[in-house]
Order: sequence, then C-alpha cells, then structure tokens
Amino acid sequence: MRAFDYVRATDTREAVRLLADDPAASCLAGGTTQLDLMKDGILEPPRLIDITRLPLHGIEHRGESVHVGALVTMEELAADATVAERLPMVREALLLGASVQLRNMATIGGNLLQRTRCRYFRDPTVGECNKRSPGSGCAAVQGAARMHAVLGASERCIALHASDLAVALVALDAVVHIQGPAESRSVPLTEFYLTADVSPERENVLEHAELITGVEIPLPPSAARSGYLKVRDRASYEFALASAAVLLVVEGGTIRQARVGLGGVGTKPWRAYEAEHVLTGAPATTATFLQAAEATMRDAWTVPGTEFKVPLARRTLVRELQNVSRVMA
Amino acid sequence: MSTVESRPRIGAGVNRVDGPRKVTGTAPYPMDFSVPGQAYGALVQSTVAAGRIVRMHTEAAEGAPGVITVITHENAPKVGTGPVTVLGASPPPPLRDDRVVHHGQHIAFVVAETPEQATAAARLVRADYEATEPLLDLQDPRAEQLVDPWGTDTSRGDSAAALESAEVTLRATYTTADNTNNPLGLFATLAAWEGETLTVHDTSQWPSMVRTCLAMVFGIPESSVRVLVPYVGGGFGAGLRAWPHVILTAMAARMIKRPVKLVLTRPQMFTSVGHRPSGVQWLSVGATRDGELVALDHRSLSSLSMEDNDYEPFAWASSFAYRCPNVTTQDRQARLNVAVPTSMRAPAEAQGNFALESALDELAHSLRMDPLELRLRNHTDVDPRNGLPWSGKALLECYEVGARRFGWSDRNPEPRSMRDGNWLVGYGMASALFPYFAQPCAAQATVNRDGSALVRSAATDIGTGTYTVMAQLAAEELGLSLDLVRFDLGDSDMPNAMMAGGSGLTGALGNAVHDACRRLVRSFAELACGDADSPLLGFSPDDVECTDGKVHPVGRPHLGESYADILARHGLSELTANGNSTPPVATELGMSLAGAYGAKFVEVRVDADLGLLRVARVVSVIDGGRILNEKTARSQIIGGTVGGIGMALFEDTVTDPRTGRIANGTFADYLVAVNADVPEMDVVFVGEPDRGTATGTKGVGEVGLVGIAPAIANAVYHATGKRLRELPITLDALL
Repeated sequence: MRAFDYVRATDTREAVRLLADDPAASCLAGGTTQLDLMKDGILEPPRLIDITRLPLHGIEHRGESVHVGALVTMEELAADATVAERLPMVREALLLGASVQLRNMATIGGNLLQRTRCRYFRDPTVGECNKRSPGSGCAAVQGAARMHAVLGASERCIALHASDLAVALVALDAVVHIQGPAESRSVPLTEFYLTADVSPERENVLEHAELITGVEIPLPPSAARSGYLKVRDRASYEFALASAAVLLVVEGGTIRQARVGLGGVGTKPWRAYEAEHVLTGAPATTATFLQAAEATMRDAWTVPGTEFKVPLARRTLVRELQNVSRVMA
Repeated sequence: MSTVESRPRIGAGVNRVDGPRKVTGTAPYPMDFSVPGQAYGALVQSTVAAGRIVRMHTEAAEGAPGVITVITHENAPKVGTGPVTVLGASPPPPLRDDRVVHHGQHIAFVVAETPEQATAAARLVRADYEATEPLLDLQDPRAEQLVDPWGTDTSRGDSAAALESAEVTLRATYTTADNTNNPLGLFATLAAWEGETLTVHDTSQWPSMVRTCLAMVFGIPESSVRVLVPYVGGGFGAGLRAWPHVILTAMAARMIKRPVKLVLTRPQMFTSVGHRPSGVQWLSVGATRDGELVALDHRSLSSLSMEDNDYEPFAWASSFAYRCPNVTTQDRQARLNVAVPTSMRAPAEAQGNFALESALDELAHSLRMDPLELRLRNHTDVDPRNGLPWSGKALLECYEVGARRFGWSDRNPEPRSMRDGNWLVGYGMASALFPYFAQPCAAQATVNRDGSALVRSAATDIGTGTYTVMAQLAAEELGLSLDLVRFDLGDSDMPNAMMAGGSGLTGALGNAVHDACRRLVRSFAELACGDADSPLLGFSPDDVECTDGKVHPVGRPHLGESYADILARHGLSELTANGNSTPPVATELGMSLAGAYGAKFVEVRVDADLGLLRVARVVSVIDGGRILNEKTARSQIIGGTVGGIGMALFEDTVTDPRTGRIANGTFADYLVAVNADVPEMDVVFVGEPDRGTATGTKGVGEVGLVGIAPAIANAVYHATGKRLRELPITLDALL
C-alpha cells in the first residue's frame, strides 16, 4: 500500500469541502472495500477523509418510511425492529450479505458504493480493464467468467455488482440522499446506478465531491409479504450466483402489487420491471411466475461460463415468488 | 520391558500440550519472528506465463523510500541447486536467467526498511517481456508428456484381453481440478547470516531437508545452517519443499549483510508453494455379472510445471486396492506453463480414489448391486501384487461398522427415489486407503536429575498433534506422567526427522522415540541392576520396566526406584539415549505394509431446481492401526473430511485460459468449505495395532480426506440420477 494522508472530518459540510478541495481524495467509512482495494493497488488515493465521526448514524422512523443514516452499520440495520417486522427482505439481504465481522464494520452508504469483485478489475497486473483504464478492453469477457454479470453486460464489461442489500433496496424504491458542496439532492436508487454496458468506468451518478448522507426506505403496505433468496455454491460467506428480492401483495389469488430485484446477475442491482409487469394483476400461480422469470432474463448477454446464470436466475426468481406467495410448484 | 501388545489400542484423548499456547496467541509461528536490524522483502512476479524478460525496469523501485536493494536475474549471485528427494528434484533456484515459465514466477526481490515500503516499491518494478504462447491446457498435444515418471506403472495378468472377454464392462473418464493447499498461516521466511552461518525461520514441514537445500544452494556445510520452525500454521503439503522464495530471502540477507524477512501474500500462496495438480483419468473395468472384478485399467494424465517434479501417481493404488487378476495402471504428466504443483493432503490418492470409487459405484448400479456388496465381493486380505498378507487391514470392519452407524440398509437403492420437500436425498459410500510411507527418523531422549524427561527430533507439528502424541508415547515408554515429559521439535539441529507428510511422521518418529526411550530405560536398568545400593541389584536389565516414575523388575513396582535416585547415586546430571527407526521391508517381515484404510458413508441433499448441493451427514470409519491419541486422531479425520468436502464441492484453482494467471487467488474467490458447509461428522476408529512396526500406528493425516469426494459424487447420483465425473461438483453441473 502506498503512503497516504489521513484526515478526519467532523461534520458533513467539512467532509464535502475536503472532498471538493482534492479531486483524488477518497472517503473512509467501514473500510471493508476501500482498504482492500488500496492494499491491492487498485485505488491509490493520496488522501483519505475519515467520515466515521459524521452525525449520520441514526435509524429514524418517519411516517411510512425508514431513514437510514449512511454510517449505520449493516448489523445495526439488520437488528432494527421495524426492519425485521416490515422489511424482512432487507434484513435477510443484510444477514446473507456478509459475515458478522464485516457487518459490524461495513456501513450502509459504503455497501451501496461497494466495488465489483471482478478479479480482473481487482488485479492491477491485468492490463485490459475498461473500468480501471477506459478503452483498454475487458479481460474477463474472454477469461474465467463464471462469477460475472449477464444483465447490463456487454463486451465492454461484465463486472457484477455484488451487493445483496442494494438488490432489496432497488426493489423497494429506496431513495439516496446526497450532500454536495453547493446543495443536497435525492436520487431514487433505481436511477442511482449506471450499467457497465454504458459506462464501465462510472458505476453511479455520484459526483466526486458528493457524499451519501442516508437512504430512505418506503415501508411497503402491511398486507405485503417479502423475502430474499440468495443462491450460491457455498452455504455462507460467498457472493450470489443469483438472488431474488421479492415483495408481493396478493388478494384473493391475484397479485395486486409486485416488486422484484435480482442480484448476482447484473452489472448493477437489477430492478426487474418486466417481471413486475407480468406479475401485476395476474393470478399468483407458478405459470405466472415462470412467465415473469422468462421476461426478466430475455435480454441476458452471456459469455462462455455465464450461460448457466440465465436459467439459474429464472429458477431463483420463480422459487422466491413461490416462497413469498406460498404457492407451491 | 513392557510390550506394545499390552498398551491400549486407542490412546487417551488428551488435550494438545501446545493448545494453551495456540489459543492464547503465544505460540510463535514463522511470521511472528523478528531479529534486530532486519529488513523486509517483497516479491515481484511475472505477468506473463511464458517467454523471456527483455528488460527489467528497477530504477523507480530503487529510488523509492526505504529501498535497500532490488535483486533481479541481472544482479543475483549464481547459486547451486537443492537435493533430489523422494518428491523429486528441488524446485530450480530463483533468478537464474531471463526465462519465464509460469505466470507468477518470481522475477525480482525488493528489500526495504519496512514491509510497506518493500511492497510499494515492488509495484514499481516493471519488466518488458518477449512473451510466447503459453501451454495451459492439460490435453494440449504440444505439451511434453512424461511417461511413468516415478516407475510406479504396474501390470499384472492381461487387462486388455480380460476387458475384451468380460461379461460386463464400464469405461469412464474422470477429471479433477487444480486445488490450492491454502493453509491459513501465510508462509514466511526470516534469514539471518553471521559470517558463513545461516539461521532461517521458515514455514516448513521438513526442516532437515530445507537445511540440506540451503547448504547446497549456498555452498556451505550443513552444520552451518540451522532451520527453525517450532510452529506451523498449517501446511497440507505446501511446506514439503524448499521454495524459491526461501532461497531468495537468504540470498538477499547475504547480499545486504542484514537479516531479511518475507511474508507471502495470499495471492502469492497460489503460485509460490505448490498446489494439487489437475488431472484426467480413464478407467476401464471388467466384471462378471455377479460383480467379481476381472479387469481393471486405470490411466492418468496430470499437470506439471515446466522444470519441476511432483510425485503424483494417481492410478498406482488401484493396483492393490482390490482383488483383481488383470490390472494395468499407468500415470503420465504433461509439462505446462503453470506454477509447480506439489503434494496436497492425500496427494495422488485423493484423485485416483475418486475415479476408482466412482467407477465401482457406476459398475454396481449397472449390475443393480449394492455398491457396498460390490466392494465386499472384491475385498482382499493379501496384497494382490505379491501375495503377502497385509500387516493390518480392518477394512471389512470399517464397512460393517460404517454401514450400521449410517443406516446404509435404510436406503431405497433406486436413484432419485428419496426426497424431503424440495430436497432430493442421496446416500453414497466409498472405500479409502492411504498407502504406507515412512522415511528414516532419529530421536534423542534425556532424563534429567529431577526425573523429568526431554525428548527431541527435528520434526514439525503442522497441527497434527506431533508435540502431544510423541510426549504421550515417551511418557508411556519412560513410565512418567505426561507433565514430566516435554517433546521438542522444529529445529534442524535436533536429530534428523522425516517430513510431516505421507501420513508417515507419527509412525516413523514414534518408532524412533520408542527406540530412544527403550534404550534410555535400558541404560538406567544397567546402572541399577549392577548397583549394590539398588533394590534392582541382581535382576537382569532385560526384565525391567518403568511405571509411575519408577524403574523396577517387571510386575514388581515395590522393588523400584526413581530415575532421580539412580542419577544421584551415580553422580550423574542426566542420561541420554539416541533412537532410530528405518522403514521395515515387506519381504523381511513377510507382510506387505498396509497403510490406513477407511469406509466413508455420506448423505447429500440436492435442490435440483437451483442446483444446490449440501452434505448432510458423514460417517467415517477408520483403520488407523494403533491410535495414540483418540482426540487428535479424530481431529485429523474431521479436518481431512472438511478438505474432502472442499475438493468435492468447491475447490478449483482457476487459471485464466489466455494468460495463465490464477483468476481466483484470494479467499473470497477460491472457495473452501466453511462451517455452514460441514455437517455433524461421526468418526470411529476400528482395527488392531499394525503388525509391521513397533508402535503399531498407521498414520491418519490423509485417509480422512480420501473417499469423501467419490462418496459425495456417488450420493449425488443416488439423489438425482445424474453421474458427475468432474470435480468440483458445482451448482451449474446440477441445474
């Protein structure tokens, strides 16, 4: 790791000003991704701005939404009573997303900004990486691609967005609150991420001198049921090969409302609008679920090694739709 | 003297004597050592897999903060080559010339004042290459093939003719992946010269060999080299070689005239300290309709690096695993541009047994026969190669006890017939063996004036329990309580010991400790029996034993006296004896040395829609001969089983097909079994002390892993009706 300056910010405005002053500086929160990438020589910020003392630690319940400070840890959010009761798929995604040691360190803001696990991105000796050096190509496309993305992917980049939490949050229409040097803004999480087929080097709309201050999660209707299914080789401590965050409101056998997020398959946390379109107003049956899964994966872009993710993602979604609706195969 | 036969078959499950030091963090592992004035090294590794280095750019690194020197092939001193051992030639010394033969080859060594400075500067070293197309595919016809590299190919009868005429034949191809040993402890070396004397702390499973190697490489006497390794953070075979990074560290320390320390990174562990080589195996089995094997043809091709050796005869054990009159086994290796493979827990046998035990399961199903019955029908109590009886083989008891504890007879033999909700349920079994292996060992035993004992040998304890079981064995032989006996190891200045490998150390070292202790007791007996002031006066030293700290005539402890009394009366401060063991020879014994056996029974659950595969239960019944410590032996079997689950389900060192770079060289990307993947395990020891050696042990370090992968694959077939002949069995294969 290269030597770097370290400065601790005491309030949000100061943090943003410090960021604005140094176009190469990075923020340090839980550090569970940032420090790995620095040790591996992928990120070499000359200055780290420690934001862990900023007043962004609270979980507040305001009417029909939960406001989560950016520095709330994964473990704190998973332990929140309202989250456990009203947002089971958020809790499940958090608990399946990392070991308890990581959950105690990693923050919600950091989780949303986590970098891909692509081993071609994470090895500085690999020259071809459009994410690290735009225009250099993508070594993963012709490489060992099993863990990579099939949605929002192209020959330019197939790097997977590995967050579990963000999959649940895009399904729930969560909103990201952002503080910039001049003003603050709010961006729906579904519009926050950019896909790698469009801009491998830019993963989200956050500008350099902007800081995520929190996430607002609307509470679903009390009649809704939800859940998160994560499928992976190993029983724990692994990123998803496919995952599905599903929220359904079913009345008299008909699906009134459907929210679907997919993980393990997209270059961003994937909101499956096509599936929701099929599901909404349709009978809650396995036939409907199969149709929804088919629609979702229609535009998948695969390379040798990732083809299995298409049927796997379909089946994962069908299974979780069955689980949540309690419709058996 | 007391005899082995009178000892308990299964020794007390006492806690590890080094346990408190390990759990309180005070046991010094190689990376924990430091000496005043030490500098730190960092490796620079090649980013192509084949070709030549045209130019090294070291200026930036040399000018970086804290950098003392940058060593490349252009300024490295020429050094010698290490010894040829039972595992083959030593890895070639580093930085010999401009050739690159694998991705991740060490091409420079940066030495700096701090580890951070060394690491940062190593990133600044660049190389210009003249790259050539690497050979990376095992079955690439351009790859040089080594035919019968160890002289282990076998042939008896006429397997081709017997296959031709067999009532039933089965031909199948099995493949196994590259696996990486991945001990938790990162390998470390600290080298310090004083003049022409070299002291090295090194992560090694064989310090005597590392001493020999360093002496040969640097052209100094072995007596000038000392290798220390009191604790090893796991090895699984990775510590059986004197690796290039060890030589580099010592070379750097000599060049800068300061101690140098190097700790490998996890990604470097994938290319620097060996791995289990990938392989393909072709099995042809001929049988009668009632399941009697009449022909077996087992051939393998495994991957090898360009310039190294690796002992890995996959097919060899198929020549003596079962009774079969016509057997051919052949092993080949293909030279590729990959990092050197090396022994990884149950080398060769882990792979060969997967193919053989899978094929037998396939045969059983095609005959509509119980897979266990097929194995019983082809069991042999004599070594089919020479007709000699085995020195100990309780495999039939393994089958019987295992089947009962597992409930094997409860299964519906029909594939895909058992279900629990979304989960298909399958039962599978496999036999296991790990062949006998031993090398000469020596030990020294001393009783001090206070009656306490110190026994030592240049062995290692790689987590297997060597400290503990050798202290137990010595305490038993010397008639002392365990707290009065210390066993010390991990220092090449001690009497020579064999590698901690091949499941051989406990037996070979145990026999040396046994010999040393017996000789020591004899020395005491001779002193006492000729001493007018001793109650033993007049007894023959042949009729003396030691119990409860007393030397006494056999069966008459009231006539005994303590070691301390004998020493005091003779004005001695201590008595010392040396002991040795050499591997027994089958023809002299009239028995074939058996090694360990086992039967493995596994239940799996498969979610066929999602491809999820979980191991639900494992029963391992092991014939390990005499078990010195029931607890540490059980831990060996449990650890081996976890490794077997990893091999079956997860472990796959992925090489980028274009560049030869390891594409998953981290613990996030290279999957090993975690707690959630490991079910409750039932481990039982059966059998009798092995008749081939004095201590009667067999070694249980590897037999725990063998057989797990085929038992899982066989259970997957039973659960799903899908025969998977490729390891690891990942989710996509089950969709």
